[in-house]
Amino acid sequence: MSIPLGHYLVLSGLLFVIGLCGALTRKNAIIVLIAIEIMFNAGILNLIVFWHYKEFAVLTAQMFTIFAISIAAAESAIGLALVIAIYRHYKSVDVDEMQSLKG
Amino acid sequence: METVYQLVAQCFAGKPAWLPLAIAIAVPILFIVAVFPGIFAYTTLVERKALGRVQNRYGPNRVGRWGILQPIADGVKILLKEDIVPRRADKFVHFLGPVSAVIPPLLLFSVVPVGPGLVPVNLNIGILFAFAVSTASVLALFMGGWASRNKFSLLGAMRAVAQVVSYEVPMVVAAVAVVMAAGSLATLDIVQAQGGGFLHVTNWFVLRPWGFVGFILFAIGAMAESGRTPFDIPEGESEIVAGYHTEYSGFKFALFQMGEYLATIAMAGITVTMFLGGYLGPGCDLPYVGVLISMFWFFVKLGAMICLNIWVRGTWPRLRVDQLMGFAWKILLPMSLINIVAVGLWHYMASKPLAWIVTAVWLLGWFMFLSKLNETEAIGKRTYRYAS
Amino acid sequence: MNAAFWILSAITVIGAVLAVTLRNLVHCVLSLILFFLGIAAHYFLLRADFIGAVQILIYIGAVAVLILFAIMLTHNVTGTEGPREVLGGKWWSGLATAGILGVVIWWAIYKDQIAAALPSNQKAQSSVLEIGRALMSEWVVPFEIMAVLLTAALIGAVVIALEEVMRRR
Repeated sequence: MSIPLGHYLVLSGLLFVIGLCGALTRKNAIIVLIAIEIMFNAGILNLIVFWHYKEFAVLTAQMFTIFAISIAAAESAIGLALVIAIYRHYKSVDVDEMQSLKG
Repeated sequence: METVYQLVAQCFAGKPAWLPLAIAIAVPILFIVAVFPGIFAYTTLVERKALGRVQNRYGPNRVGRWGILQPIADGVKILLKEDIVPRRADKFVHFLGPVSAVIPPLLLFSVVPVGPGLVPVNLNIGILFAFAVSTASVLALFMGGWASRNKFSLLGAMRAVAQVVSYEVPMVVAAVAVVMAAGSLATLDIVQAQGGGFLHVTNWFVLRPWGFVGFILFAIGAMAESGRTPFDIPEGESEIVAGYHTEYSGFKFALFQMGEYLATIAMAGITVTMFLGGYLGPGCDLPYVGVLISMFWFFVKLGAMICLNIWVRGTWPRLRVDQLMGFAWKILLPMSLINIVAVGLWHYMASKPLAWIVTAVWLLGWFMFLSKLNETEAIGKRTYRYAS
Repeated sequence: MNAAFWILSAITVIGAVLAVTLRNLVHCVLSLILFFLGIAAHYFLLRADFIGAVQILIYIGAVAVLILFAIMLTHNVTGTEGPREVLGGKWWSGLATAGILGVVIWWAIYKDQIAAALPSNQKAQSSVLEIGRALMSEWVVPFEIMAVLLTAALIGAVVIALEEVMRRR
């Protein structure tokens, strides 16, 4: 396969920017969490790309990826539990309405 | 697929380079598409007749002698039924639900070896791929339940997803024990690690203490994954109408049923590969006819696992939702973790008889402890209060 | 092989764009699943088989199901709002920020000669055996810490989402 490294980096950069647009633009908290997942995946893709292109013999990138995917899954679980708890309180998942820190 | 490729590449030496590859890809696909839905069709007939006999009645016996043509009649009937989509349903997701119920089992068939070297795709992460794909079958339940805009469907879908996700965990952990013993995730290696006993039978993993426990755990998990009784809370039938496929009719309903049966057959195939020795059996290493004998043994064992599934369906009552969850998390998951320790003990014991005794005592002891821990109160004598 | 890269990239980018643009939440999650499948396919293309299978198992099997459950429990799915109700306040500043970051990333990639590098060794492949061995020998401390972290996340998520029921009782 003769794809230059730059193409993969552009792909992951593009996915990261798409995720960032979604996280900063949308109003629904769950879509913000979905966009955060997209950003996570774009970053993790970079690790495997560099492993494939530069240091094929060392396993560090794959270890890092396994741990990063696990942490992303744990973070999304907690994020969604928070969204559910907030929904119970505010009766909506609109990020513009969650403005006060008073419980 | 590789054996097909080598055979074909020898015959077609002078032809263009892509032709052997295309044939080597097409033959396993045709095999899977032709054989396993055929097994599905006749499994429905065998199931109905066996359930009928268990319930002291004949099964279908009108269409053809012994009901042989019943699956064809069912197929024709279901294709001709009207396809009703609820007015406020989400059409795209409603369409995708049954489709994504059928895709994971078909993908599962691609890592099941039916003969020596005869596996459609020889991945070196075969079993991991099988579990990843069976995890993706959860989405079909959810899409079916959500897209119908029906409270019963949604409730059925939530319970179904909770059940499937809970039973995946002991199933995968029980399979880890097999992977530890075989030393590889590739299905061909797992089958070959069970070879070489007397008549190629005595080395099967099911005949070891940890393998027997693992087999039971995996079979229970597989039954719960595809939603068979006694775990058919998703289907309901007298509880929540028909659960997540209430609003489906015609061919989409048939696709859901096909997905469930294909999942049963695929999981039976994986159970046979991991615990019952795959295609091994007496006479499987003879020079030319050995391949056919191996395939024969594979299908015999697959049929035996399917009959076990049907037998359990006809015999045991349905578990209630909280009993189901408690069973998965409080009994099956600890037993599967203990099974992993048992495999480790087996591997590192010096002498065989000592390994048998220690492993069996370890497993039995923990099982009795767990059942003692999870005991519910015994049902006492009934007292009646009469109106006076 | 090159065609595989372009097709899979197209699928991945389309999945990501639809996931942040659609109005119906369940459709967003379905295109997120398409995105995850695209990323897993890229992992397989980059010869990281184990990571690809782990991606399907964890993201599609667990995270997508989690998001679907959260959508079900917050009852907020409909797809009939117009753009005014979908976008948050000051959405143009979010787009501008993302655009500036995109330009910076583009500059950083094409600044040096690294972007023209070709893959180094195409024959070697990772094996699960080595990953397992590394997890138990060199990387055992992060592995155990990950186990503790996942347990804490599990208990924490249950406690957070359970609060209301306990208070009502």
